[in-house]
Amino acid sequence: MEQPIVQMLNVTKRIGKRTIIDHLSLDLPAGEVFGFLGPNGAGKTTMIRMMVGLISITGGEIKIDGHSISKQFEKAIRHVGAIVENPEMYKYMTGYQNLVHFARMVPGVEHSRIQEVTELVGLGSRINDKVNTYSLGMRQRLGVAQAILHRPKLLILDEPTNGLDPMGIRELRDYLQRLAKQEGLAIFVSSHLLAEMELMCDRVAIIQQGKLVEVVKVEKNRESERTATQRVVFEVDDLEAALAVAATEGIAGGRAGRAIAIGADKEAVAIFNAKLVAAGIKVYGIQAQHQSLEDRFLEKTGGGHIV
Amino acid sequence: MYNFSKLLLNENMKIYLRTRTWIMTGLLLALVVFMTVPVYFMSKDSAMSMWTLVKYESAVGYLLIAMFTAVVAAGSVAEEFTSGTIKLLLIRPWMRWKILLSKYISVVLFALLQVVLLYAFTIAFNFLFFDHTNVTAEEIHGFFVGDGQYEGSAAVYNMKYYAMRFIALLVTSMIAFMLSTVFRSGGLAIGLSIFLVFSSISIGPIIGLIDYKWVDYLFFVHLDLVPYLTGNVGDRTLGFAISVLAVYYALFAALTWFVFEKRDVGA
Ligand SMILES: Nc1ncnc2c1ncn2[C@@H]1O[C@H](COP(=O)(O)OP(=O)(O)OP(=O)(O)O)[C@@H](O)[C@H]1O
Ligand SMILES: [Mg+2]
Repeated sequence: MEQPIVQMLNVTKRIGKRTIIDHLSLDLPAGEVFGFLGPNGAGKTTMIRMMVGLISITGGEIKIDGHSISKQFEKAIRHVGAIVENPEMYKYMTGYQNLVHFARMVPGVEHSRIQEVTELVGLGSRINDKVNTYSLGMRQRLGVAQAILHRPKLLILDEPTNGLDPMGIRELRDYLQRLAKQEGLAIFVSSHLLAEMELMCDRVAIIQQGKLVEVVKVEKNRESERTATQRVVFEVDDLEAALAVAATEGIAGGRAGRAIAIGADKEAVAIFNAKLVAAGIKVYGIQAQHQSLEDRFLEKTGGGHIV
Repeated sequence: MYNFSKLLLNENMKIYLRTRTWIMTGLLLALVVFMTVPVYFMSKDSAMSMWTLVKYESAVGYLLIAMFTAVVAAGSVAEEFTSGTIKLLLIRPWMRWKILLSKYISVVLFALLQVVLLYAFTIAFNFLFFDHTNVTAEEIHGFFVGDGQYEGSAAVYNMKYYAMRFIALLVTSMIAFMLSTVFRSGGLAIGLSIFLVFSSISIGPIIGLIDYKWVDYLFFVHLDLVPYLTGNVGDRTLGFAISVLAVYYALFAALTWFVFEKRDVGA
């Protein structure tokens, strides 16, 4: 793999006596949408603030495109576009004026690029209205526009779907994927919306209380889903008989309420079903229990203890 | 690294796209109109010199400018924090000190623009209404300043008056800019700096009379430099007063830049 676009090495942030980020190390490759998932207060925003140099780093180092954010700020930030928390823009200016403002701060952003970006985020003619007339979703779009204006190599978005309608979320998801795949952008998205992350990201880092818990590759591949072993629940009329069939077939079966649960891939499910039917057991339903990112997340972060 | 003038362009855009900037400018010009016109109609003395009005209007106008500049200075930094736009501003390939410098320069340019407007408008407008033969400052009622009488023409006096006031304006706007940066609260910056401007005018000279040496090193004793036009004030010279102000100015600037450079930009 080529050099990671972002390297975080033992990054630590302490404010007073509190350790908010604790020796976090993570590399982000180019061309991927990388999720940063954690419950409220896990330290996602704090981490992002350090990545863009808004707050100092207590220990460790963050390198972007090989440049240290604290020591070579201008070089490191040059290829970063970001929204940190809410996309606050200058309300007394139009969307267009806001974009002109940020375009002036980076060399090589022409007016045609502003047009291009406006179209990409779907702001259309509303770009010429003052920002104080925008809805939250429109401000969010303008926020994305200013972040990608200067064609960054790394796009950092803190809770980007916040305030978007389902259509807007879908569009955002699609063009984030497009940016990542076509332009080789690395995209770092934080969220506590699990389902969202699962759809949007290629990989997800789960953090809790400032510590990296796990990096999960999000499975989108139909083929691998077919061969993956899953927990499958069979609803049957005679549970004991079904357990006996499982035992004779050498399949590890367990009770799941009044149903039987086995771990199996697609083929094995069909075979087990045939055996049950052959044994005269009525099968009322078969349900694959996909282990979602949510299960993983709750399992790893200890369920119910969010915050 | 790139073009600094673009940063300045941005900061100017943020000042002049706001309606309040134009309201303040309008108020400044209205002040001149609303002082000159009534005086013109009420005064029976048709030979009144335009410089008399220029003098009074400039004095009041400068107070307004000090307040307006405090408003703009406070807006420049504190409002970026309260609105959250600071987060977008600071993640560009610019060192923080340069961004702050562009802000400061835009504030000074605003003050300068207001001063130039006031200067030109008071002269042009009063020229239309009153006698404009060249007079000496002595002939103008009220041109007694400090302990003595200013020798020379009223026009030259007026220019020097503007220069003295502008030096003080630079100091008070730096104070507003500092408060704006350090406290990140526009209201506090505006309130405190206006308080300073007025208290330095009213109590500065009184404190200046206190016969302790350390009093000479307080900056607000020196904010009114106009008396120096007719010589020393007590045992203080103009050079001394400006040096004291310059030291404070440098200290305020250093503190402002230091705080801005080091600040963690949190929620
Ligand atoms: N300036 C600060 N001083 C003290 N504690 C802070 C400060 N900023 C953040 N924290 C604490 O750091 C922790 C992480 O905050 P952070 O905003 O990074 O969380 P987050 O993961 O972004 O949460 P959310 O999902 O709610 O946005 C929180 O417990 C918060 O209280
Ligand atoms: Mg957050």
